[in-house]
Amino acid sequence: MSQDVDPITLQVVGGALHSIAEQMGNVLYRMSYSSIIRESQDLGAGLFDAQFQTLCESDSTPMHIGSLPGYLRGIEKSIPLDAWKPGDCCIHNHPYFGASHSPDIAIVMPIFFEGELVGFSANTAHHVDIGAATPGLIIDVPDMYAEGMLLNGLKLYEEGKRNEFLWKFIRDNTRVPGLVMGDLEAQIASAELGVRRFQELLARYGKGVVQQCCKQLMDYSEGALRRAIAAIPDGDYVAEGFLDDDGRNRGKTLPIKVTVKVRGDGVEVDLTGSSPQVPTAYNVPFEGSTKVACYFAFRALLLDTYTLADPIPANEGSFRPVKVTAPLGCIYNPIAPTAAEARFSQIQRVVDLIIKALAPVVPDKATAGNAATLSFAAYSGVRPNGNYWVFLEVNEAAMGGRPQSDGPDTVEELMRNTRNNPLEDLGMHLPLICDRYEVRDDVFPGAGKFRGGQGVVKSQRFLSPGFVTHESDRHEDAPWGVFGGQAGHGGRMQVHNIANPEDARSEYAKFSGMRAEAGDVVTYFSPVGGGYGDPLDRDPAKVLDDVLDDFITVEHAHDVYGVVFDAVDDGYGWAVNAEKTAARRAELRK
Amino acid sequence: MIRVGVDVGGTFTDIVLERGSPGGGQQVVVHKVPSTPADQSEAVVRGVVEACAIAGVAPGEVDFVFHGTTVATNMIIERKGAEVGMITTKGFRDILHMARHKRPHNFSLQFDVPWQSKPLVKRRNRIAVTERIMPPTGTVETPLDLGEVEAAAELFAKRKLDAVIIAFLFAFLNDGHEQRAKEIVKRVLPDAFVCASSDVVNVIREYERFSTCAMNAYIGPKTSLYLRNLEQRLRNAGVRAEVRIMQSNGGISTIENSSVRPVGLLLSGPAGGVIGGRWTGEACSTGNVITIDIGGTSADISVIEDGQLRIKNPRDTEVAGLPVLVPMIDIDAIGAGGGSIAYIDAGGAFRVGPRSAGAVPGPACYGNGGTEPTVTDAQVVLGRLDQEQFLGGDLKIDPALAHEAIKTHIADKLGLSVVNAAIGVLKIINNNMALAINANSVAKGVDPRNFSLMGFGGAGPLHVAALSEMIYAKDCISPLHPGITAAMGLLVTELRYEFTRSVLTVLNTATPEEFATTNAALDALQAEAAARLTADGIAADKQKFVRIAECRYAGQGFELRAEIPAAALSAANVGAVITNFFNAHKQVYGHAFADQMVEVVTLRVIGTAEVDTLKLPELAKGGRTDPAEALAYVRDTIFDDGKATPTPRYMRSRLLDGDIIRGPALVVQHNSTTLLPPGYTARVLSHGDMHIVRA
Repeated sequence: MSQDVDPITLQVVGGALHSIAEQMGNVLYRMSYSSIIRESQDLGAGLFDAQFQTLCESDSTPMHIGSLPGYLRGIEKSIPLDAWKPGDCCIHNHPYFGASHSPDIAIVMPIFFEGELVGFSANTAHHVDIGAATPGLIIDVPDMYAEGMLLNGLKLYEEGKRNEFLWKFIRDNTRVPGLVMGDLEAQIASAELGVRRFQELLARYGKGVVQQCCKQLMDYSEGALRRAIAAIPDGDYVAEGFLDDDGRNRGKTLPIKVTVKVRGDGVEVDLTGSSPQVPTAYNVPFEGSTKVACYFAFRALLLDTYTLADPIPANEGSFRPVKVTAPLGCIYNPIAPTAAEARFSQIQRVVDLIIKALAPVVPDKATAGNAATLSFAAYSGVRPNGNYWVFLEVNEAAMGGRPQSDGPDTVEELMRNTRNNPLEDLGMHLPLICDRYEVRDDVFPGAGKFRGGQGVVKSQRFLSPGFVTHESDRHEDAPWGVFGGQAGHGGRMQVHNIANPEDARSEYAKFSGMRAEAGDVVTYFSPVGGGYGDPLDRDPAKVLDDVLDDFITVEHAHDVYGVVFDAVDDGYGWAVNAEKTAARRAELRK
Repeated sequence: MIRVGVDVGGTFTDIVLERGSPGGGQQVVVHKVPSTPADQSEAVVRGVVEACAIAGVAPGEVDFVFHGTTVATNMIIERKGAEVGMITTKGFRDILHMARHKRPHNFSLQFDVPWQSKPLVKRRNRIAVTERIMPPTGTVETPLDLGEVEAAAELFAKRKLDAVIIAFLFAFLNDGHEQRAKEIVKRVLPDAFVCASSDVVNVIREYERFSTCAMNAYIGPKTSLYLRNLEQRLRNAGVRAEVRIMQSNGGISTIENSSVRPVGLLLSGPAGGVIGGRWTGEACSTGNVITIDIGGTSADISVIEDGQLRIKNPRDTEVAGLPVLVPMIDIDAIGAGGGSIAYIDAGGAFRVGPRSAGAVPGPACYGNGGTEPTVTDAQVVLGRLDQEQFLGGDLKIDPALAHEAIKTHIADKLGLSVVNAAIGVLKIINNNMALAINANSVAKGVDPRNFSLMGFGGAGPLHVAALSEMIYAKDCISPLHPGITAAMGLLVTELRYEFTRSVLTVLNTATPEEFATTNAALDALQAEAAARLTADGIAADKQKFVRIAECRYAGQGFELRAEIPAAALSAANVGAVITNFFNAHKQVYGHAFADQMVEVVTLRVIGTAEVDTLKLPELAKGGRTDPAEALAYVRDTIFDDGKATPTPRYMRSRLLDGDIIRGPALVVQHNSTTLLPPGYTARVLSHGDMHIVRA
């Protein structure tokens, strides 16, 4: 065992590692070509040691953070550690060899120092199209071969020389080679930067010192999470929910069961009791997605970057205390060649159920039920000149109420954190026009001392005929309230033609390749967060704010929050009547 | 000609007065007064009047006052702006509430969403009216309902709102509805601050445009009141000078224009420092300067390449987490300064900053109740900052308190000596700053090996040598008046006005009609810029214009600037714009595409006019090495080897042109100390700036 590095050097090297990961992420998203990487920052980047432990990772979409060690373990099946050479570069996306899902392609480069393999520089990014059965999104497909190109631990570069046949193969097997090849180049530039910067760090401080720093930094992060887990009483904490359907078999809901087993300073998430795998692509790769969701849940819950005074280095240490179990053959650990591309809604629910299970023992860190879903829409059509247009849109939802604050409205929650596309930019380029993008007003937010976040409503109108595919869930199982808070609401989809606004029909959360006519309007209503705490404990001033801001009505305030108003002529209309409110609340508490 | 620059900081307001005599000689007076945060203009006026007294001129003789202010920025950070109403397009009431739907923290459940919890316009005051403008040409699908606008305005009047914005979707294509609604609102609310999104920033992207417009209105009433009060106070004090305000883009503007468009002032404070850095770089014969302005709580970093200020990518221009589509100098701020607190966290890690002891209670050695050790305390413990040098001895400090704080909070906890703990504090804070410099240079395609690092602000010259080593800078600069560089920068910039309009065109395939539309828009923007300069009294032959196409590869999300040739744009010369864009893309992102379509998104015309620039008197020739005449005293200083080394202190005011000081040494002056570690040598330049190199 080497000696501990002094705390000053440790801090200096720790800062440098963090900075390398940030720069890798920056290069990747700023250089990339597709909006899903550049705008949505649907990527992850970092450095890893030769045992595949994460040394540092960029602060980007949580879905990617923690997935790369799985990729590296999967790649080892094709490229053993002694088969790496300086200047090599591997490409990989196999969902049964560690990938998060097949569109998330990893680029991995070995880092050599003084002739020895000391680690890896790697990143993942979501690619627009990898030649799947349908463009953009796939749900109702038979197996993983329909997902498109499967790249299983292939060397794209050998000792600095690109494999032009493989490069051409990739170019020939995507519908949008301009985007995919440009994005791959950005990934390679990012990985190269990581190799160079880590070598510089090793040269500056010495290999022994840097490696010892990495060890201590991982131990530090592990210690921080373990201390937080140890503060939770030992026990098995269970929460259950269900998914709408698998996108093919309508009306057949899919159970999810999460058991959080807290033992001392470690924790196991056991998904036994969840649905068996399904025959569509609505399954979750275990290594690259199921485990990552559980890592995220404990970091967000117990090492919350907003409430924590001191930043915890993002490294392997935060994964170590968390063990994940899902029986082989269940929806969270499917058996090849089952398709497993459309996995986001399910993992959002795992996180939400971990929070629900633990809420009774960490009430100051938890939330009420979050929307915990995804709305991923693929709009497409043919232009008059015969060219295809495809637009992928992510719609946000809302969070549940929280111990000190309301759930945020209309926001990207949990594992996702993308940016929307400006409506004006889309309007200039697509035969699609947004007719409505607002806070939802057809239901009330989940009532509570701190109310749930209000969801979004978004309407897209086709100006010429086209198609739409939609990947989502949670129309049925509404986000729950906690500690006396009320439940939120499920989502819904609606389609109508602008000529007959009254004649609207409902749609399932998931549908594939639906034909749309000119004037057809597709409207998404996201789920709405649940409330936290008794609505009768809500500050009447906040209830007044919600009335004035049209989140709730005077009647709802009276019925549910027990707040009574007087009409006033100040332009706003209402003021709290403290006396009548006290009386109304006393009556409701009886 | 007498000109005065006034820069308002958190603790002090700095004043530089320059008096040019007809014979060509100059007199430069620098002065400092305590800031008056409740109303910055009090200290500004006091400082100007006192500086006049020191210079022996009557206030009425001052011709110009140039002012850098943090009034607008503080209003945003503290959320103390106006109650704003908004009239917007039906169906889109909540664009400001949703923003880009991305949350500010990835790994958090309890995070705050500032645009929802502290909105610039409350939802109750956002009223959506019937109207619809359609892309891509701006045709009216649904006419504006004037009655709804009138009703909204009446309601705002009843609610006694101070400011109203009008922000409609696709207004950048057709501002007719916005202008019509604005007329109605102005009629109903004649005293309110009213602006339309297409007036404030006429560009595509609804959230960013609406939010910029909302911010303009949010800070509008109080900023214009502040500027008018300032002018009035100056008049009452007998100062009849023209008052000019520093803008975020590094140019200056009039009070009138700044009152209408205060959103252009958000970087008014730090901009002066960067301009001062550029000017000092010129005096030191270098156009490549990385500036680091180190104050009490934060450090501002910027890069000047080939004498050009770098403008921030519009994707990154934000204030307090809210987007501001206004050109800003690319300045990164990090929480590292003299007041940054050192501590050992719960997991045993040694950390410094970003928490700061600020001005109150300040570092432990101030004896104002601060007990936690700061960076300044570490400097005192190591003998790098002498107690008699705190504002030339005006500020009394107690080194024993610094020692005690570092011992209790750091050294004892880590089992280190107090000296090693203090060295550690500086190593960690320097590392934080060096990484931030890298993020603003290396990460943006700039190689620091070709740049001089200039450290200013009170603490800058203490850190500059160590930082230059960490970032591999070519050499470093300690300017003549490090503590007052920002105020000097105010006297060395130009009038600068920018006008924009989004006109989307794919350059590679543009038709003659599209070129005609683009040229017409450019001409209109240039006419606007010319009118503004003319109104400021600039003759036509002194007006300069730069025409910019903000371009992207078709399908990309954000643009980069490409200059347009002076002649009308046509198929013949469009290649030059495409090449300029290619080069910009390559510099910023490290690569560019030769075969992709280039789309102009926004046209920008920048109108500038030079104004007089500050000239410092030349020092007498010295050419001495370690001049005994400038030696104040010798005292022990501890450098990074941990050993106490007898180290001379030189008085900066006694150094002459060409003098050489060899490290180890400290060069002291009223508001700053320059540290020369062993192996470093400083040479005094003709105006008193010091050029520092490693031997």
